[in-house]
Amino acid sequence: MTARRGAAKAQGAGRLLERRARRPGAAADRLAGRILLACTLLSAGTAAAVLGVVAVGTGQFFAEVAPWRFFGGLEWAPFAESPLFGVLPLALATGQITAGAIVVAAPLGLLSAVYVQHYAGARARRIASAAVAALASVPTVVFGYVALNAVTPALRAVLPGIETFNGASATIVVGLMITPTVAFLGREALGAVPPAVVDAGLALGATRGQVVARVAAPAAARGLGAALLLGMARAAGETMIVTLAAGGHADLAWSPLEGVRTLTAFLAQAGMGDTSPGELDSQAVLAAAALLAAIACGVHAAGRALLARGPATVLRRERRPSPPQPAS
Amino acid sequence: MTSPHADRTAAGPPPLAARRRRIDFLGFASRMAAACTGAATAGLLGFLAWKLVQGSWRGAASGPLSGGGGWDAIASAAAGTFWLLATTGALAAPVGIGTALYLQEYARPKARAASLLQAALTNLCGVPSVVFGVAALALLVHGLSMDRSILVGGLALAAAALPPVVSASAAAIGAVPDDLRTAAYGLGATRWQVVRRQVLPAAAPGIATGACAALARATGEAAPLVVVGAASFATFAPAGPAAPLVSLPTQVFSWAARPQAEFATHAAGAALALLAIVLGINLAGLLLRRRLGKALP
Repeated sequence: MTARRGAAKAQGAGRLLERRARRPGAAADRLAGRILLACTLLSAGTAAAVLGVVAVGTGQFFAEVAPWRFFGGLEWAPFAESPLFGVLPLALATGQITAGAIVVAAPLGLLSAVYVQHYAGARARRIASAAVAALASVPTVVFGYVALNAVTPALRAVLPGIETFNGASATIVVGLMITPTVAFLGREALGAVPPAVVDAGLALGATRGQVVARVAAPAAARGLGAALLLGMARAAGETMIVTLAAGGHADLAWSPLEGVRTLTAFLAQAGMGDTSPGELDSQAVLAAAALLAAIACGVHAAGRALLARGPATVLRRERRPSPPQPAS
Repeated sequence: MTSPHADRTAAGPPPLAARRRRIDFLGFASRMAAACTGAATAGLLGFLAWKLVQGSWRGAASGPLSGGGGWDAIASAAAGTFWLLATTGALAAPVGIGTALYLQEYARPKARAASLLQAALTNLCGVPSVVFGVAALALLVHGLSMDRSILVGGLALAAAALPPVVSASAAAIGAVPDDLRTAAYGLGATRWQVVRRQVLPAAAPGIATGACAALARATGEAAPLVVVGAASFATFAPAGPAAPLVSLPTQVFSWAARPQAEFATHAAGAALALLAIVLGINLAGLLLRRRLGKALP
């Protein structure tokens, strides 16, 4: 009984598929599906190749070098006669530049977002948005050029003791570079706050500043936090500014007046020099790349997760008046 | 008169004039921040232009320039950037848009492989571009012993641009209302007819902007090219993707690090040329968005 019903169903489905297959456009549909599948496989292959080559190199590296020597060592000299693989100086330099950059970019970016969203008139808003968009299009190598040729001389006029290659100049300019990211995402977050909430605050007699600080910013807090995290992810991965402006040595340098070498700067320098393929030094380069990717990717994922959680719950909880209950 | 609200009603709210007079610190600070951002943008552009004009004037006064610089090198590097853009665009844009279409329209919604790929591509958006350069160096140059050519640089940039193109396109496609699809399927359209006639036109403005933004960023990228091994000097204009790797961003990089004033001038010139190209691509994205958006009902 059930078998017969199943067979009838299968026959029906078969006829339906047959009719679909003979429909005009069915051949084009199949062809398009195959082409799009090929694109997808190509993307998957690219992603697998990038992740795979870094993962394999890192695996080979850790087969030779104990993890504690990588994560705990205080000196990084992979090309020396007796190589040292302590990644801590590079990782700390990356952290130092990233933290400094967000200190520059958080006030600039978030306050610019507040200005554009809540204070600017139509004309000022257009000008400010265009400035942010223009700053966002500037290639990072151009920022690096400006850091080395404009910001460092300017800093030197104030602090004569500063080195030619220093962390301070790189930090300021990386902060400037991520300002558009923070400003753009911050404005999106503020723009997602329902205007009725802002208007209600203003109608109750609060100043615009009070409304922004106590109503709009708390409501957009997750979006603003995500803007900062996504900016930090970009700062951690920024290569050209730190290579040009912060330069050289991989010593543990705490002072921003001295040169520092970040993970990214090491990768750029290692690429310019000749590493020997398959040897320990080129595997060390891949291990450093894996660490950098993990740091930047982790911060980026945290920012995205914050965005995905949506606006603060205060605003989502809408209380609609319930319909009158019939008397029982 | 013992009501707790009594003295509040008696005193009343502060007069309107007093409230107006309260200083809005946030307003002041936000105006300052916006002014700083604007000034930084203007200062950056102004500095480049000033360096170029000052250097050119001095160069014209002291005769022709020597060394590996020169305007010819900027033109050659620009040609290299053009070929890189062509390679990257031809690879990343169609493959990325095709992948987004497949993942959004063709793959079963709960297919494990599709969601795994989507997660991998989303996370690759956060991976710094220099890592793509390191991977290309290890895989293509060391692994497959390819030359350090424009093609290899273009492949590295395409790999870096692919995840953002997919993610922007997927977002634009996902924002197309389901009613369009349901109505088209109900009229008997095939899947490709739905995609071609309904989904793509509706998502096109978003796809165009996202793809152009990703390509603009890839065009300005120097780090992966430096890692893959760009030539320090563009001695002759590249004729195609097989030529040695030269580009504007790597040229700015190698000139910027030199102390001589004439290199600083050339770096400023190359930087302005690069900036014009990148801004042009972004502008093209905006114009495309407007134009494709107009075609919609």
